[in-house]
Amino acid sequence: MNIIRRNLDELRMILRDPMLAATIILVAASLVLFILWPLYEVLWEGFVTDKGTITLQYYREALAKTENLRTLANTIWLGIFVSTVSTFVGFLFAYADAFLRIRFKGIFNMLAILPIISPPFALSMSFIMLFGQQGFVTRTILGLKETNIYGFEGLATVQVLTFFPVAYLVLAGLLRQIDPALEEAARNMGASRGHIFRTIVLPLVRPGIANAFLLVFIQSVADFGNAMVIGGNYNTLAAQIYMQAMGNYDIKGGTALATVLLTVSVLMFVIQKYWVGEKSYVTVTGKPSRERELTSDPLPLFFVGVPCLLISLFILVLYALIPYGSLVNLWGIDYTPTFKHYQYVIDIGLKPILDTTWLSLISMPITGILGMVIAFLIVRKKFFGRGLIEFSSLLSMAIPGTVIGVGYVLAYNKEPLILTGTATIIVLSFVFRSMPVGIRAGIASLQQIDPAIEEAAQDLGASSFKVFTSVTIPLIKSAFFSGLIYSFVRSMTAVSAVIFLVSASYNLLTVSIMSQVDGGKLGVAAAYSTVLIIIVLTVTGILKLLLGRMGVDVSDVQGG
Amino acid sequence: MSTSKSVSVKKLVKIFDGSGGKKITAVDNVSLTIEPGEFVTLLGPSGCGKTTILRMVAGFEIPTAGDVFIGGDRVNTLTPDRRDTAMVFQSYALFPHLNVFENIAYGLKIKKMKSAEIKAKVQNILGLVGLSDLETRSPNQLSGGQQQRVALARALVMEPAVLLFDEPLSNLDAKLRIHMRREIRKIQRQFGITSIYVTHDQAEAMSMSDRIIVMNKGVVEQMGTPKEIYATPASQFVADFIGTANIIPSTVTNTSDGSVEVSTLGTRFHVKTQLPLKHGDEVKLIVRPEAVALSRADGIPAEITSSVFMGSYQDYVIAAHGQSLLIVDSDPANHETFEAGEQVFLVIAPHKLHIVK
Repeated sequence: MNIIRRNLDELRMILRDPMLAATIILVAASLVLFILWPLYEVLWEGFVTDKGTITLQYYREALAKTENLRTLANTIWLGIFVSTVSTFVGFLFAYADAFLRIRFKGIFNMLAILPIISPPFALSMSFIMLFGQQGFVTRTILGLKETNIYGFEGLATVQVLTFFPVAYLVLAGLLRQIDPALEEAARNMGASRGHIFRTIVLPLVRPGIANAFLLVFIQSVADFGNAMVIGGNYNTLAAQIYMQAMGNYDIKGGTALATVLLTVSVLMFVIQKYWVGEKSYVTVTGKPSRERELTSDPLPLFFVGVPCLLISLFILVLYALIPYGSLVNLWGIDYTPTFKHYQYVIDIGLKPILDTTWLSLISMPITGILGMVIAFLIVRKKFFGRGLIEFSSLLSMAIPGTVIGVGYVLAYNKEPLILTGTATIIVLSFVFRSMPVGIRAGIASLQQIDPAIEEAAQDLGASSFKVFTSVTIPLIKSAFFSGLIYSFVRSMTAVSAVIFLVSASYNLLTVSIMSQVDGGKLGVAAAYSTVLIIIVLTVTGILKLLLGRMGVDVSDVQGG
Repeated sequence: MSTSKSVSVKKLVKIFDGSGGKKITAVDNVSLTIEPGEFVTLLGPSGCGKTTILRMVAGFEIPTAGDVFIGGDRVNTLTPDRRDTAMVFQSYALFPHLNVFENIAYGLKIKKMKSAEIKAKVQNILGLVGLSDLETRSPNQLSGGQQQRVALARALVMEPAVLLFDEPLSNLDAKLRIHMRREIRKIQRQFGITSIYVTHDQAEAMSMSDRIIVMNKGVVEQMGTPKEIYATPASQFVADFIGTANIIPSTVTNTSDGSVEVSTLGTRFHVKTQLPLKHGDEVKLIVRPEAVALSRADGIPAEITSSVFMGSYQDYVIAAHGQSLLIVDSDPANHETFEAGEQVFLVIAPHKLHIVK
């Protein structure tokens, strides 16, 4: 009874404002249509036969195959290994950032940006260029004939180097929030530096360590690009789904695997968001009263600072190899400078470049506006179904791209929505893949704004729509534009979902690069990658310049 | 100027969903009427429901039951932007991305007023609140007091039928608060706008209001002029919340029309009351600190437990018949002062006493 009355209250509240009601319905419909429905298709597809009868056969088959079980075990072992090492390395970096007096800390943030603005498998390419059969180290320097970088070792190393910045950002954020007065209080009571670290710092960031571990785990199991490029015979779910569904034309088998992967990811996401995410001691102590006195003790400098700088240098070299590799004749054998790979790109492959750029640019404002509207609804409005909107929009962050890719293939190649092979389906996948980050940023910045400011506007006669455009958007514009830029970058570099959706009419840059790597044309792949990075840097550079002119600060854009 | 309107709420109820499915009744069957041009304060401790009523009048909350009327029209389903009310927020809620002028002009622009008219109105109101030279400042360049004035100006410029104040002075320092109290009251009188003012500060309520509505736990404890509320509180809660009161348990020993005799502190008092009491009833005698004088000669025997010089007055705590009483001598320069430990006598003026159940 009470629930009914409350819902009626909420309904009346919304109906008072038709614009708001229409927005809520539109947003809910789009989330159902483009996130929940494809997922439902994935889950359901594995339970029905072609004739439409319900069966457990495909799951039984999929789970009975030792090959598939090994793939699952591989995925989880890789996830655990990579998360553990990444969290450790991330912690070293975070510690160096927060406690050590060392130079070149600016590089740390760059390491966090580089994986975002380059193809997600960029480091795999660099690794092959260094340690592959024609690798610079293996062939040119050591002269080895038989080498195999493909497999667990290569994949795990590349994943660690790609994903540890995620752990670093989480932990650095936490360490920065610890009030140095706590450490001074402990020191004042006679504790040594090492003792303080063990008894104060470490316990305070323990929830953050769990958080970082899970976030990296989710990324590792969802990682498609590196698994395809350098995974070799070490099969993982994300790659196997694609090979099964697209390579073997066994979409049923693919969806069974996708369900398994989805289960793993969503489980980790739920644990991360609702269990670990809630626990934080640091907030209890409030804001730091002042900045921490950085240490230049030789011991931590040597054991933490030096390794961090060496790893940073190594990663920078790896990324630098890509433009370099695009400018030499035949990697591993003939390092004569040449533009021939770019010539090749221009001759045969400008279309993927232009398609990717245009589609990303089209997705950008859609993602940005939709993301802010959803954040606004979640934080500021009470209505029936708000929980569903919040959950499904944040859930899409945890859904591995290959799963959503399979879902889009299943959902949109039949009535009522036939989108296969169109630009629309690619734009949709761009929008709903990159939106969660915008929503999260929007939520965070809205929560810092006194709701009374928006109430004041409404009280002075502004409608919900007017409040949103004249007060809310200007107040969160920096999150909004950061979201725009992030959305563009993420769309440009996306591969895992869209690889299912590309067609003869619309091919994408990342997919082209992948097939060039596959075909052994490292030079061309490097040239494409370099072009991709240049486009990303140019467009975001122009956007930042324009926004800077308008007085919008988007310096936090790399945070996503 | 739109004419001032009455505000009334009838059998208003607001129930919030608390954590764990608990229901929290913030406002419990409240009815009250505010006349056009009247300045009425909703006074009570935090969580008593006063702000919730204000927000239901403004339209930010929907009543769970009951009705809200502005100028006789039922406004339950009107959104805040369509109600002729203007609110001054506790946090001021100034738009940080707009300067002082733009903040005040915001509502006028929505009304699609001509820019020349807007300019004239804003400048007029800025003059009124004494901020004429600050119109291009941004809110974060203003002091707390100045922000408060901008918030007031932004509401006033709308010339609303009803002004709503949600603890507007609670973020100011003590001196400025007293000053702004007078300013707000002066401007409200000048404009004659119906005003509802929410506060937990009884001094604010006493000094500004035509009428005070004392609330506790979602219900109205008492309505009346500041004088009535102070002199004849309807309950122990009101007596305690408004000013300082010594609340002394007493027994009714005799009744007559319009007054009773009560026994306490080892003596008997005749007190005027309209309460239906009978012999033997347990009641509370309300003794204001200024209703008691100290003497060396005659009265109720007592001992001084503490004596503190406060400048303009002397603060005593005394013990008499097992009761502890606060007493204020507001003219210590002309009276003998007593030290802790001294034996004295209390002289209580019976016409200043009051009885609650």
